Amino acid sequence: MQKFVGKVRISEILIWIFLIILTAFVVIPILFMVVASFMDAKQILAMPFSWIPSKKYFTSADRTFFTNFVKAIRGNNNQGTFPRNVLNSLIVALSCAATTVILASLCGYGLAKFKFRGRNFVFISIMATMMIPFEAIMIPLYMVTQGFHMINTYWGLIVPFMVSAFGVFQMRQYLLTFPSEYLDAARVDGLGEFRIFWRIVFPNCTPVIATLGILSFRNQWDNLLWPLLVAQSETMKTIPQYITKFAEEKLTDEGAMMAVAFLASIPMFILFFSLSRYFLGGAAVYESRKG
Amino acid sequence: MALMLKSKDKTVSTKTKEKAVSNERIKPKRYSIERKEARWGFVFTIPCLVFFAIFAFYPIIYAFITSLTDRRAISRTWSFSGLENYIYIFTKDNGGFPLSNSIRATLVFTLGTFIPMIIISLIVAVFLMQLRKNRQRAFFQFVYYTPAVLSSVVAATIWMILFDPRGLVNQFSNFVLGTSGVDYNWLVNSTMLQISTMLVYFWKYIGYFVILFITGLAAIPPTIYEAATVDGASRWKSFWRITLPLLKPTTVMVSIMAMLQCLKTFSTQYMFHQGGAARRPIDVITMNIYFTGIRNGRLGRACAMSIVLFCIMLILSYLQLAFTRSAEEVEY
Amino acid sequence: MKKFLVILMALSLMVTSVFANGNKEDKPITIEFWTHEDANRQLLEDRYIKEFQDMHPNVKINVTRQAATSMIELVQTAFAAGSGPTVFNLSINDEYPLIAAGRVAPVDYAAIGYKDAAELEAAYMDGMLAPVTYEGDIYGLPLELTNWAIFINKKVFRDAGLDPEKDYPKTWEEMADISEKIAIRDGDILIRRGFDFRYPYYLEAFVPMVEQLGGALFSEDGTEAIVGEDAWVKFLTFMQEWGPNGRNLGSPTYTNARSLFNKDNNDIAMANTGLYQEARIKNDNIDFYNSGEWMVVPFPVFEDAVNDVAACYYGHYYMVNADADAATQEMAWEFIQYMLSHGEEYLETVQIIQPTKALMESDTYKNMPYSDVFTQDFARAHIVYHAENSTEVNALIRAAVEAVMLQNVEPKKAYQDLKKAVQELIDEG
Repeated sequence: MQKFVGKVRISEILIWIFLIILTAFVVIPILFMVVASFMDAKQILAMPFSWIPSKKYFTSADRTFFTNFVKAIRGNNNQGTFPRNVLNSLIVALSCAATTVILASLCGYGLAKFKFRGRNFVFISIMATMMIPFEAIMIPLYMVTQGFHMINTYWGLIVPFMVSAFGVFQMRQYLLTFPSEYLDAARVDGLGEFRIFWRIVFPNCTPVIATLGILSFRNQWDNLLWPLLVAQSETMKTIPQYITKFAEEKLTDEGAMMAVAFLASIPMFILFFSLSRYFLGGAAVYESRKG
Repeated sequence: MALMLKSKDKTVSTKTKEKAVSNERIKPKRYSIERKEARWGFVFTIPCLVFFAIFAFYPIIYAFITSLTDRRAISRTWSFSGLENYIYIFTKDNGGFPLSNSIRATLVFTLGTFIPMIIISLIVAVFLMQLRKNRQRAFFQFVYYTPAVLSSVVAATIWMILFDPRGLVNQFSNFVLGTSGVDYNWLVNSTMLQISTMLVYFWKYIGYFVILFITGLAAIPPTIYEAATVDGASRWKSFWRITLPLLKPTTVMVSIMAMLQCLKTFSTQYMFHQGGAARRPIDVITMNIYFTGIRNGRLGRACAMSIVLFCIMLILSYLQLAFTRSAEEVEY
Repeated sequence: MKKFLVILMALSLMVTSVFANGNKEDKPITIEFWTHEDANRQLLEDRYIKEFQDMHPNVKINVTRQAATSMIELVQTAFAAGSGPTVFNLSINDEYPLIAAGRVAPVDYAAIGYKDAAELEAAYMDGMLAPVTYEGDIYGLPLELTNWAIFINKKVFRDAGLDPEKDYPKTWEEMADISEKIAIRDGDILIRRGFDFRYPYYLEAFVPMVEQLGGALFSEDGTEAIVGEDAWVKFLTFMQEWGPNGRNLGSPTYTNARSLFNKDNNDIAMANTGLYQEARIKNDNIDFYNSGEWMVVPFPVFEDAVNDVAACYYGHYYMVNADADAATQEMAWEFIQYMLSHGEEYLETVQIIQPTKALMESDTYKNMPYSDVFTQDFARAHIVYHAENSTEVNALIRAAVEAVMLQNVEPKKAYQDLKKAVQELIDEG
């Protein structure tokens, strides 16, 4: 390597420049959201844009830097359903993450480690569901949900997303390479099949479970169309609904919009910062598999 | 997705999958166990099967049957109309928003998003692997991934403000191009509008794809590079001769997954349209299905479009399988 | 044996239902009530609901409030799935198809204290119930009927050297010229606009402009769509001139005018909106409301207009699901009537108009600032186009206007595309 020093320097500088430009592209909109949530709408669309929230743009006397947040939390009707809607989103997303992990690992294990007639057919049909555009099945799905009397309940928000084909696929692919010798050894020791699953297979899937759990948490946190139909009362609504509903009334209050967007992102940011290892999943999984 | 890719590489590098399969095949001693195995395999898969039967197979079959009817959302009765809906969507205008335009919009979006995305994320991944410290690499990975944790609603809201004629993007464009006060019509001009949706998508998912490629790169044994360095190959050469061919399976997988995701895109276009942007330039298939079925209540026709999209995606996935199979033949 | 059991069960079900119907006050009734979100209305309605529930202890009312734009999607989906709310309101063009499809029930005249349809009709202003009258029965009661006039910020006018009382626009040509004078730009970018249109509402606010020029949405026999090439092309040319590719006076991608108007931030001088805007100004910006620096003028016409047409009025009508059982339907109408019996309070606090004769002739209405402007425009207007395909027609006009304004398509070409598409819509029925 040493002999390339001269060349490496130039190329390295270029690499750094490239990476930093991309960083700016990625970070600026997020930073914008954060600073804009403290600003008056007047400042957000002022030309040229200044990044420091300033009082001189305030258009009314009783305005403070936190007015946007107060508006965001109060909502359109001053009923303060914001915390409840955040809680709903958390409940739904966490439940879906948990059920996805359990059901997908069960199914993935069954598909990867057992031979039975029709296994490929089962696998392919589950994979095919990945191709279904959600918009196509919204109405039949609504009818099913209604048939189970789950409209406007947590069940209705959770059950249709309990597991995803993609989750099954991930678990199966992961478990294909799980050494069968361990399983055989456990069988020889007289362990039941469920115990083998719980004691040996499941604990050994931790990295992929974490990645999958986070993925499904994120998808549900992001889900807008389905809750729009199913969560009808104010106390059942989720955060994306809150934002779109808020946007309808506060369309022109860009500051309040950014505040609500920022507040709604905080739980995801916390999760991301604390579990980034699993978010950045692939690599982490790879490392632990090697070990 | 990350994982799938990863196991795929695993499969490629060690052929474990092949081994696993053949191992199972050459186990004649297990006749008694086979039936038991079958039973347990069934037990483990049944909860998911029941789930998919109710929440995926039934709805899609229902959608298929509906696509053969003239059903409208609020009518109490409907009748079978055979392939009329399919003929209609391919020959008529669907009230000014024809399927042909939607297929165009979807393809433009898909190609315009996933090709730059694949190329740039590959370059970024290679660059990141060149960094001397792991911590630097981790930092950039972390930063690039951040937009992906924002919800699409939030992302669209931010970008709508950024794309305002008075917004930051326009100010920046003026700055870069040395103009002043020009409105680049980010949400207005139909080409710019399409570029805007691509930009948002690119912004949101670039980090995700970078990580997928890094995973792929990490799977290439360092010994290969060492050998190449000994042979005196330059970095540039070793990139073209070693890295790229070895990354082929990863690239194929990533690009096809990206393509499928792009084909299903909905929320950015929907939010932009709600915010005042024109529909035709960005009327992707999913959005057309949504407006035709959910908003205009033409269920039969919307279901026919869904089935068409379903088929397009199935064909592409078949291609994916075909591709990856040929990709698996790559040997280290 | 099995058959016997089934018959027995069916019989017992019938018996219980007969008894249940016989005693309506005691049978618990649940009313699913869906309405669009409006912070000001909500305060009133929550109170009415509580009062009504107190009066009828056996009635439970579940309220669902959704954003106005997604309401139709929800209601339609619920109906498609065979359920649907008991009581709901939508804008008339979304509601009309439900009447035609038999999904909603006619008014229970007795439950709301009227003898028959004629007597109920007489209580409302002329023609106000016509949109919900179908085969001799009335299917809805108006929560609000609204028309739009032009709100003006006098300060902005003066700032641009204009006298609002004298110079306010009477024609669309003047509207464009005045907007030109008021507009402040940084290069192409509009910092201050004069007037800007009410964009997604093409049937309400744009079709009348075409009608002024002698054009129409449909021919009288309903077989031809987008009638009057000259009128439509002239209208589309006007819109093109308005947009960024013409005189650059405004565009649908800017912040919508009517919410910006309330802020009084020197961003916009005029907006096209309804009487309810007064309540919103009061709510958003009480200082501006009290300053008297705003006024309302009639909807303009083109210089060479052949018809004097103002912006269409449109309405939200309360309706009752036809699938609800008889007792629930009766109670639902009683509930609607109870809420609508507070017309004056609605007018005073939310400034929405329930067009009963009593209300329109009341002092409350007459003393409302500029209510006379709205009354006069009512007389020049007709109800918005409402039919099974009205949402699609609106989307098509939107596409045509956006094509000329934003994508710089030739007005003639946009007209032809529009005509072809709408024609196709009505031809398929």
